[in-house]
Amino acid sequence: MITTPPSERDLHAYVDHALSDAERQQVEHYLLANPHIAAQVQAWQRDAQALRTALHQSLLQPANPNLDPVAIRQRQHRQARRQWASAAVLLIAVGIGGLGGWQARLLTQASNVLPMSDALAAHRMFAEQGFLPADYKVQQSSDMQGWIDRYFSHAERLPDLTGAGFTPVSCRLLTTDQGGAAMVLYEDQQGRQISFYIRPPGPQNSLLPRGNRRDGELQTQYWSGPGYNYAMVGPADAPTAKLLDTVGL
Amino acid sequence: MTSFDEQLRELIPRLRRFALSLTRHASNADDLVQTCLERALGSVAGKRPEGDLRAWLFTILYRQFVDNHRRSRRYARMLEFFTGRDDTQPSTERTVLAQSTLEAFEQLNPEQRALLLWVSVEGLSYKEVAEILDVPIGTVMSRLSRARNALRQLSEGEINRPALRRLK
Repeated sequence: MITTPPSERDLHAYVDHALSDAERQQVEHYLLANPHIAAQVQAWQRDAQALRTALHQSLLQPANPNLDPVAIRQRQHRQARRQWASAAVLLIAVGIGGLGGWQARLLTQASNVLPMSDALAAHRMFAEQGFLPADYKVQQSSDMQGWIDRYFSHAERLPDLTGAGFTPVSCRLLTTDQGGAAMVLYEDQQGRQISFYIRPPGPQNSLLPRGNRRDGELQTQYWSGPGYNYAMVGPADAPTAKLLDTVGL
Repeated sequence: MTSFDEQLRELIPRLRRFALSLTRHASNADDLVQTCLERALGSVAGKRPEGDLRAWLFTILYRQFVDNHRRSRRYARMLEFFTGRDDTQPSTERTVLAQSTLEAFEQLNPEQRALLLWVSVEGLSYKEVAEILDVPIGTVMSRLSRARNALRQLSEGEINRPALRRLK
């Protein structure tokens, strides 16, 4: 219940239609008898009306497509996938990072370290399963080299496999515990995939003698070049295996 | 899901208007709306209010604004510490005599602008506003009263301390 005479709060509540019928009548009665208070209340009402009119304009801005819920959902989805990507990258890092300390020594002593196994892991994840978006897609074949050069200075040129029908289509950046890595995916007309993998040799500067290894249906060719370790991974069947043999020489 | 999107879409113009009244800058306002919508869309369905979403969205947006503001004030203080000057002071050109209610409105502090927009323009109840600001209803009423009187005085050009300072 409001007071008599009405408090200033009651007057605001009156302006904002927040009073009961009885209370409103009580205020109106009071305002009739007190013209200078009534003038103040009317001024508040006029201000409120003026604000409603003035601010109506900004309801009429042209729509911003970025704010549409569908667009926002899509962006959130992409971000989630990108977080997935860093999770996958971490897995790769753990794969080789797990070979730290005494484990690595043991394995080295047993000469059991599988060189460039991260290249193989990356190929399985990004090429075969293809569940992650590329960081870079090729428009022209010369673009990819420029893009790689931005991240790896003075690295070997990307192998030109056009003779065998393979062209670079996309690239992904990865982090490993040896430093940043990149995987360039090549495809041919039949959709066969070969990947080129580059990363720094790591703090121990562990350079590799040229070699290759077969793991299931995949063949990995690896070598070290100026400043980086390299690998090519592709199907182990005859034509591509032969092709892999020729790169990096 | 679709109906939630639909409900949000309908409220976007109001959110943009509110954000604009807070930031007074169109692209900052849309950034604020975007963050607000991202939060709304990212929220668990069970945590969304039933029925009127407006007050809930205003709450998200306003808290985000206050948060950003605090952060930028901290940044300004740091900048001031390093450079010995304060960039957040309004320029003298900005505190001109209000020609209209809108100009007077724009000279109020952000909370006063929010209060007047919620109550006078959007027609939210005192209770809803109290929940947004997380203060008692009595506090809402006294702040509203102060905001209205400030608007009144600015409209009449009674408060113009910065302008007076300029005359010295």
